[in-house]
Amino acid sequence: MIAAIPRAKPEGPFRPQEGSLATLGMTGLLFRATALIALVLGLIAAVAPARAATPDAALAELLKEARAKLPAACTQPNVDRLIKILCAKKIRVGIRDYYPLFAERKGDRREGYEVDVALAIGRMLGVDVDFVRVNAATRIPLLAEDRIDLTIATMGHNTQRDGQVRFIRPHYYRSETTVVGPRELPVASMLDLAGRTVCVTVGNGSNAELVSQGARLMLFDEAGVLPDRLKDQTCTLAAQDDSFFAKYFTDDDFNARYFQKFGFAQVPWGMAVARQGSAELARALDLISQVFHRDGLFIDIGRLHSVRLGFLQQQQLVWRKPECNTDVGSANPSCVLPPLNTALQPTSFAADVTSFERWVDARTGIDLALPMLKAAPAWSLFKDGVVYSLVLIAGALAATLAFALMLGAAMGSRSFLLRWPARLVTMALQSSPIVLTLVIAATIAHGLFALSTVTVLGAAIAALGLANGSNAGQAIGEAMWSLRAEGMQGGLFGRALSRAATQIVAFLINAAKGTPIASFIGAPELLSSLTDITSFSSGRITTYSILLIFYTAVVLVVVWLCGKLKQILEHRQAAA
Amino acid sequence: MSGLMELLSNDFLPKFLAGMVVNFEIAAIALVVGLALGLLLAAGRLSGGMVTAITVSIISLMRAAPTFVVMFFLLNAIPRDATLFGAPFALSGVMTVALSLVPYSAAYVADAGVDSLRHLRAGTREGALLFLPNITRAFFVLVMSSSAGAAIGVTEGITVILRQAEQLSSFDDRLVLFAIGIVMFGIPLQIAFALIGLIQRRVGRVAVKEPAVEV
Repeated sequence: MIAAIPRAKPEGPFRPQEGSLATLGMTGLLFRATALIALVLGLIAAVAPARAATPDAALAELLKEARAKLPAACTQPNVDRLIKILCAKKIRVGIRDYYPLFAERKGDRREGYEVDVALAIGRMLGVDVDFVRVNAATRIPLLAEDRIDLTIATMGHNTQRDGQVRFIRPHYYRSETTVVGPRELPVASMLDLAGRTVCVTVGNGSNAELVSQGARLMLFDEAGVLPDRLKDQTCTLAAQDDSFFAKYFTDDDFNARYFQKFGFAQVPWGMAVARQGSAELARALDLISQVFHRDGLFIDIGRLHSVRLGFLQQQQLVWRKPECNTDVGSANPSCVLPPLNTALQPTSFAADVTSFERWVDARTGIDLALPMLKAAPAWSLFKDGVVYSLVLIAGALAATLAFALMLGAAMGSRSFLLRWPARLVTMALQSSPIVLTLVIAATIAHGLFALSTVTVLGAAIAALGLANGSNAGQAIGEAMWSLRAEGMQGGLFGRALSRAATQIVAFLINAAKGTPIASFIGAPELLSSLTDITSFSSGRITTYSILLIFYTAVVLVVVWLCGKLKQILEHRQAAA
Repeated sequence: MSGLMELLSNDFLPKFLAGMVVNFEIAAIALVVGLALGLLLAAGRLSGGMVTAITVSIISLMRAAPTFVVMFFLLNAIPRDATLFGAPFALSGVMTVALSLVPYSAAYVADAGVDSLRHLRAGTREGALLFLPNITRAFFVLVMSSSAGAAIGVTEGITVILRQAEQLSSFDDRLVLFAIGIVMFGIPLQIAFALIGLIQRRVGRVAVKEPAVEV
């Protein structure tokens, strides 16, 4: 599908008006004089090497100058890629093979918004287009290796990539991360995401923003699985580039069931050329892009391929403004969009960490990655995660002990009114999987209090304490009844604690081991923090290994402490 | 409440029961692998010398490793294109949850196995037979623990309940739905624990009646 290609508009200082001398008079004389002056000025302007005022003229001039160098320049080394393209009469464009609506290959045929944009550029330059398959990993290296002249491959323009390639501005599209979910689900903004699980792909730049709003992330390697995970209800919500979901929303069934709740993290897409040896090519493409926006060609091509037109329509208005529709419009900050700033503030010791990673790699061959120590937001999340984990463990141990004592005393009581409610609560807690107990605690906490870190931690501590304390309490209660059966009378509760020491200790350890599951209800402990960190950085294997070592070590310490507690309780029993 | 009734009148029950089957499936896999590994560890622990020391350390580490963290470790540390002896080794969600439960089940089986082997060596067959109710108890603990799969999108019983809960706007309806979940999980669990108690008491009585066996 090829859209109509606009041609550069004829340019000139102005066209002199024709008039009849008989009809002139004084006014006519003045008019003639003015016209004469204007004509002279026009001739001067035409003769002098004046700078063209519109992108069309600038482009025509640039191409004319480049063509004037042919064929002599074709054999010269280190000429600009624009010259090379004109010499070869073809431009090599890096393009994706499968990105629905934007670039798809079906046998020998390619189609999509980006394909037609590339063909339109070829026509403007008067050359053929050779498509070269690229993907997210190769679209920049192939430019640097001079295997392609231009990449048009769904590439977001961010500050990180700005140093690797020369982006063409104005941008040819803009995507945003869109949150998709069932139509009936009441989610309308970021504020509604707190505590909800959102399915995302690892490394997506917008994950950090979701995390900052309190959303829990479920990570996937490939975006392609997200629609299926929505359909099988693995994911209630999924966040991904709107250009990715665009195709799925053309499906009636998908469109009837799901809705784009809201969008955020807008990122402009840029065509790009190599930073070295492509100055003139980049300039030509900047001007072409300006013309395409102004004349609505991007809109025409976008409409042909059913891509979202909002950005393109907005850009058409921008590039029709007099201050933007000039040969220097693409350098005017009020006309072009800035790149997305994705740079994360490094920690003060990031360089040392990098050196350490290299040292380990050089000596052991282990590809160690410690993202939590290199970027300031990640380091902050990591520190908070460790602190909250320790708070959670201490809280869960205290709550387990407290509930064990309370429920144990009630279950060991002679009073029916104390004993049976405690038994029923224990039975219910034993019958509830811990995940469900946590969710119930979180639901009740959210119903009673405003959502906050304290609320979530409190709910998690209560749930872990109840689940484990009820079992330990049952052991205490049974110990009390067994002591009564043996004819013991005084100090029954203290003796029961000693007798049930093994079970109490076992459930205390179980409570400590269970704390990471609190991340399921959004407790910001270490598992939660590291999942968030890996969602926008690399080094998953190292990160989760550190997590496993941390929790295992902490539980071993708890086991050791509980062993001491058990000794004390058993010593008391022996003394009694 | 009408919203809840509408939901429950749809296909909730079949979905929930299918989810519970997944819980039992995960527990069964974890127990089978745990039995194989745990019995080996039990044998190692009783063999004496350095092997015992090493085995005790391994069992301690397995006992201390939190299931939920192990699950996320397996999920993220094993590449999707991993191979084992040339064969693809990509773990499904169910297998990831099941394998994350193996450290617990293997450590439990090792402890119960050591007790049982000691009883056997002492000639107390009934004491050794307590291994079976203990393993049954472990199985039901594993069934309950398999609900951790909800965190990685495995469609087990709790996942089905939570998905239904997402559709309910009423706080009360959600609590009623959760209560239904507790009852549904509680029935097999309480029946199983009652049976285990019965078997243990019967084994205990047999042991008391036949003391000659213990000599």
